[in-house]
Amino acid sequence: MKPKVAFFDFASCEGCQLQIANLEEQIIDVLDVVDIVAFREIMTDDSESYDIAFVEGSITRPIDEKRIKKIRKNAKILVALGACAHLGGVQKLGNQWTSKENLKHVYPQASSMVISDSNPFFEKPKQKALDEVVKVDFILPGCPIDKGEFVKLVSALLHGKKPSIPDYSVCVECKKAENECLFTIGKFCMGPLARAGCGAICPTYGNECEACRGYVSHPHENAHFAVLEKYGLDPDEILHRKTMFTYRYHEKKDQNKKEEAK
Amino acid sequence: MKIISKNDFNKFIDVLIEDEIYDIEGVKAKGNTFVFGPLDSSEELRLDYDTTILPPKKYFLPQYETLMKANIDSPFKLEENEQEKQKIIVGIHPYDLIAIQQMDAYYLDTDISQAYLQRRKNSILIGSDVLNVSERAFFGSMNTSFIEDGFDLYITDLGNRIAIDVGSKKGEELLKKASKVRDANAVDKQKVKAIQIAAQGKAKRGMKIDPKQCYSLLEQNYDSKVWDSQSEKCLACGTCTMVCPTCFCYDVVDEIDLKNQGKRVRTWDGCLLRQFTEVAGGEIFREDIKERYRHRFYRKGKYMPDRLGFVACVGCGRCSTQCIPDIADPVKVINLVFDESESILNEQKDRPVTMNVKVSEVDSDKAKSLHHTNPATIKRVESLTKTEKLFEISLDSNEKLGHNPGQFVEVSLMGIGEAPISISSPPGSQTFELVVRKIGEVTNKLHELKKGDKIGIRGPFGHGFDVEELKGRDLLFIAGGLGLPPLRSLINFIVDKKNRKDYGEVFILYGCKEPCELLFQSEVESWDDRSDIHHLRTVDKCPEGDCWDGQVGLITKLIPQLKFDTKNTICTIVGPPVMYPFCIQILEDLGVPDDHIIVSLERRMKCGVGKCGHCQINHLYVCKDGPVFNYKDIKDLPEAFA
Repeated sequence: MKPKVAFFDFASCEGCQLQIANLEEQIIDVLDVVDIVAFREIMTDDSESYDIAFVEGSITRPIDEKRIKKIRKNAKILVALGACAHLGGVQKLGNQWTSKENLKHVYPQASSMVISDSNPFFEKPKQKALDEVVKVDFILPGCPIDKGEFVKLVSALLHGKKPSIPDYSVCVECKKAENECLFTIGKFCMGPLARAGCGAICPTYGNECEACRGYVSHPHENAHFAVLEKYGLDPDEILHRKTMFTYRYHEKKDQNKKEEAK
Repeated sequence: MKIISKNDFNKFIDVLIEDEIYDIEGVKAKGNTFVFGPLDSSEELRLDYDTTILPPKKYFLPQYETLMKANIDSPFKLEENEQEKQKIIVGIHPYDLIAIQQMDAYYLDTDISQAYLQRRKNSILIGSDVLNVSERAFFGSMNTSFIEDGFDLYITDLGNRIAIDVGSKKGEELLKKASKVRDANAVDKQKVKAIQIAAQGKAKRGMKIDPKQCYSLLEQNYDSKVWDSQSEKCLACGTCTMVCPTCFCYDVVDEIDLKNQGKRVRTWDGCLLRQFTEVAGGEIFREDIKERYRHRFYRKGKYMPDRLGFVACVGCGRCSTQCIPDIADPVKVINLVFDESESILNEQKDRPVTMNVKVSEVDSDKAKSLHHTNPATIKRVESLTKTEKLFEISLDSNEKLGHNPGQFVEVSLMGIGEAPISISSPPGSQTFELVVRKIGEVTNKLHELKKGDKIGIRGPFGHGFDVEELKGRDLLFIAGGLGLPPLRSLINFIVDKKNRKDYGEVFILYGCKEPCELLFQSEVESWDDRSDIHHLRTVDKCPEGDCWDGQVGLITKLIPQLKFDTKNTICTIVGPPVMYPFCIQILEDLGVPDDHIIVSLERRMKCGVGKCGHCQINHLYVCKDGPVFNYKDIKDLPEAFA
């Protein structure tokens, strides 16, 4: 019997699932080996019986927590799909302010009745990555995910192999692609801290890496900080540059600082 | 020396581009810098380049190379790799040509890489003098500004004309495709000389010592503070190793697709990366960035000279240019170490320089596919503990493995990977045995296999125990945990009734964590019954209710209980890394001479043939020089028991 696979989404743009929907002819190969039982973007069916759950998006509200816990319970394997699920996404940045401040800033004209915390759709005490709420078995990082990597992960799971994502920096792949280092042409890059596996696609097209795949397991942040400073970024700007996708790594430090200040 | 007008030279290049039998690659612009890449027209060729992002090593050791492809259900039916066209590479600077010679020495050494040799034989190298010197280049200080051989043609751009030196028959043949070639006159020659001397002069960046003294400097400054202060700034991004023309290390990774197609891919790896030395159990042998940072310089300045006789740095300046924190520059680092030290430097002793490998003279028949794995069949599987299984294996060729005790094999599962496993049976029989702990990707899969299943076997590899040398000696074996399987290949040989008379007293100590982890229980217990074996066993701890007739406590406690001739017994230790320093200390305290201690060490043996670089302990390759070492030979190596 083919393993049953389901896709779910939380706070996200659903672009990672779109990558999978866009697999084109390869989707047929995928369907040869798995049964997709739930995938809102491409089908109307839904199911609560599945082996592998791919979950996109971050967990932002208590009602989401309930839902993801149920998904976890149903799934044998849970895979975090993309940067929102893996790192909490861009929305993680919202944790720098209170929920009230965020709502006021985002919906300045809405009535306070509608967006109050008592409305469960707006109750967003904290933006969380999946693994802050449930156990995550594997991560498929990136914003968006890489189609090819998705296929590799499915293939690995089917063959009882641990899906492996590189634990070295984007610089390795960037050099193999023989790119001119962005630092040398006046740009700022997160590549030295960022986890590879993307083939350094952004730097290859001249765009700065924003570490959408998260950091390597042992990032040399201080050394990177010094480099950014050397290349002319002030500390505020550094923090700004460094946290687009990676506020998760700074959140604890920020909280500790805030508590110290108190 | 020949001369051709610029115009005719360009026509010559265009003729080669048109010719379908060649892939023609040359230096061209990429943004503000340069790369080697396919030439569409002679106009693209930029002989005025300073240096390229990547060196031409990528043509012989590509960033990614499929070593083999096969369906996992028939893993030995390999798909043929596509034949590559003959490659002409235009514009290689002398320092890069020298780096290629070094790579030749490395890959065409004792284990000749077939893929590498084919690519080298299939290429025509056109060297070029340096017209513009990269700001960070220091080849002028490294004696790599000039080269007399190692190219097929060598050109110097003299503005309106090109000077050409012919370096080989291949080059001579190729040049026949050019028209209006004349002999160089004295003025041409003088101009070429002037360009070369100018480049050499510019590419000196004030290195305070002679490159020949680097060895001596590094030898004396392993603990220099410079390694700390510089590595603190290191990003561990691996850039310096990727862009280096003399970094040859690689990793091998397996892939598997939805249609059961397996693929084994070789790709560049670098010793600055954290997982470079990581073994399946999770141990990382150079975990600290300082150790990795230092290793890179030592590999270039000391270990390669130790092994092959040359300094593996040609002064191209790529690492220096491309290191963002600017800590990779050999000139700066060497000067820093020199300034900090009080060393009196000697010139490097005369070492055999093995850089004179002539590719055209290397016999293709002697080359082999280094990663080719042999079909083998599992004859028997036996569970030894919860995590260890014994596999009895025979090669499908019906040949004996032909191993020495202490050697290892690479066990291959297509699409999953390879794992180095030591052979646990004595030599001689038709089959051999492996004890496999379920600990990583390959071993997890292996544990699922049954009698009759196929696996791949490469090897045997490494330097094992020398059973001849041990003859007539008293022997003490100390095995800890998974150290027993490799040692068993030796013990069973020696206690075999046939061989036992050749050896003196035999003492065997064996320890594991708990009784449930005891391997080869009945064999171990049978040692109790033999009057010609003194045996003690212990467990670190014995949980309540477990049945155990041995001692409880660390294995080190057993050593002083033995009455052995400390001056004349050869003591062999195999166990987890943590065990060695303690056991060795006790043996030394008892008066055992250093050269009477033998150890077998574990590292990440990926290729097994001294190429991939993962298993290095300072200058030694565990896969080739080990895993069995005489303690006296490695006791002063800082990485051996760190």
